[in-house]
Amino acid sequence: MAKDTTNAPLTPAVLHILLALSAQERHGYGIMKMVESDSQGKVKMGPGTLYGSLGRMIEAGLIRESDKKIDPEMDDERRVYYKITALGQKALAAELQRYREVIAVAKRKSRQPGIAYGS
Amino acid sequence: MAHKQSIRRLRSWYATLLRLYPKRYRERFAEPMEQTFNDLLRERADEGKGLFGFALWIFVETFIGILREALIMPKYILRPLILTAIIMLFPIFGSLYVADWNWRWYSFVFAGALVFSAALGYELVARRMNNKTYRLAVGVAVISAFAMNWANFAVGIFGEFDDIPTKPFYWGVILIGLIGAAIARLKPRGMMYVMAAMAIAQMTVPVIALFVWPVEMRHLRHVSFPMLFAPTVAGAFGANAIYAALFIGSALLFRRASADRDALTAA
Repeated sequence: MAKDTTNAPLTPAVLHILLALSAQERHGYGIMKMVESDSQGKVKMGPGTLYGSLGRMIEAGLIRESDKKIDPEMDDERRVYYKITALGQKALAAELQRYREVIAVAKRKSRQPGIAYGS
Repeated sequence: MAHKQSIRRLRSWYATLLRLYPKRYRERFAEPMEQTFNDLLRERADEGKGLFGFALWIFVETFIGILREALIMPKYILRPLILTAIIMLFPIFGSLYVADWNWRWYSFVFAGALVFSAALGYELVARRMNNKTYRLAVGVAVISAFAMNWANFAVGIFGEFDDIPTKPFYWGVILIGLIGAAIARLKPRGMMYVMAAMAIAQMTVPVIALFVWPVEMRHLRHVSFPMLFAPTVAGAFGANAIYAALFIGSALLFRRASADRDALTAA
């Protein structure tokens, strides 16, 4: 049974994977490339981390496997694609909202005299 | 061309490494992981970058992933492990504090393996059916087989000290149970017959012993359950009858579980 993880804070790996899948379904390599591009190369995942996270996210009901199909831009191997679920979208939205709130607090505080945040 | 060969070789090694993942995980992710690894290597090769260092990093990263997954044990393995650890505390403390308790290391290994395999056997079979009677039947069968094995290996049900080599016959009883369970596919009706067959096989052992070693049987010096049975021919039959009765009890429970199942199907 999927646990309700909608309101739980997400790990960086899970957040990046959900972000990568938010626009379209992707296979493992596609997710890796998207995460690398979204994070401007700061987050790099190997297959061990990626598929470990994918497994836990499937169990939590945040994503699901879609059908196996061929990626027209790659070879002719059939690949498993992953897509975000409604629960995953909710969890991502909740996490992004948390980030917005943190940024809002930081902005408010930065206006106070004597407090300076990084460049 | 050289890159293609290296990629093929590295991919094959990576596939070997992926075999270390727990089965459930492997069945789900080994193929996509292998493909992803292949994609990453091809990308590196296309960019004219070296493969070896990168592949080494992926191997290490995946190995850490394997350790992480292996530590997340499913409950059906964790529970038998905990039970085994608790039960094994008794002989450990016994060896430390009881004067005549002198087990060798292999006795601990054997006892631990026996307890763990019995508990794991129960978990694997009982979880197949959500029926209390079926689970009870499995429990009785496993405990009976465990007790019989324990007595047979540890002290001998009878004959250990009397030149009556009956131990392999009792392994035969267990073998009948294992093969029968596989043929019956653990279904309750089939298991009922398997348990009945085990009970018959159990009682056949003293009969065989009586015919093959009649002199030794008349001068028995030992049977298991010494508190209940004197070392006589009747005692030997009595000790075996205890296990046979347990197998019959399990058979009756399987029969009831089968009737429950039929009633449920009819409804």
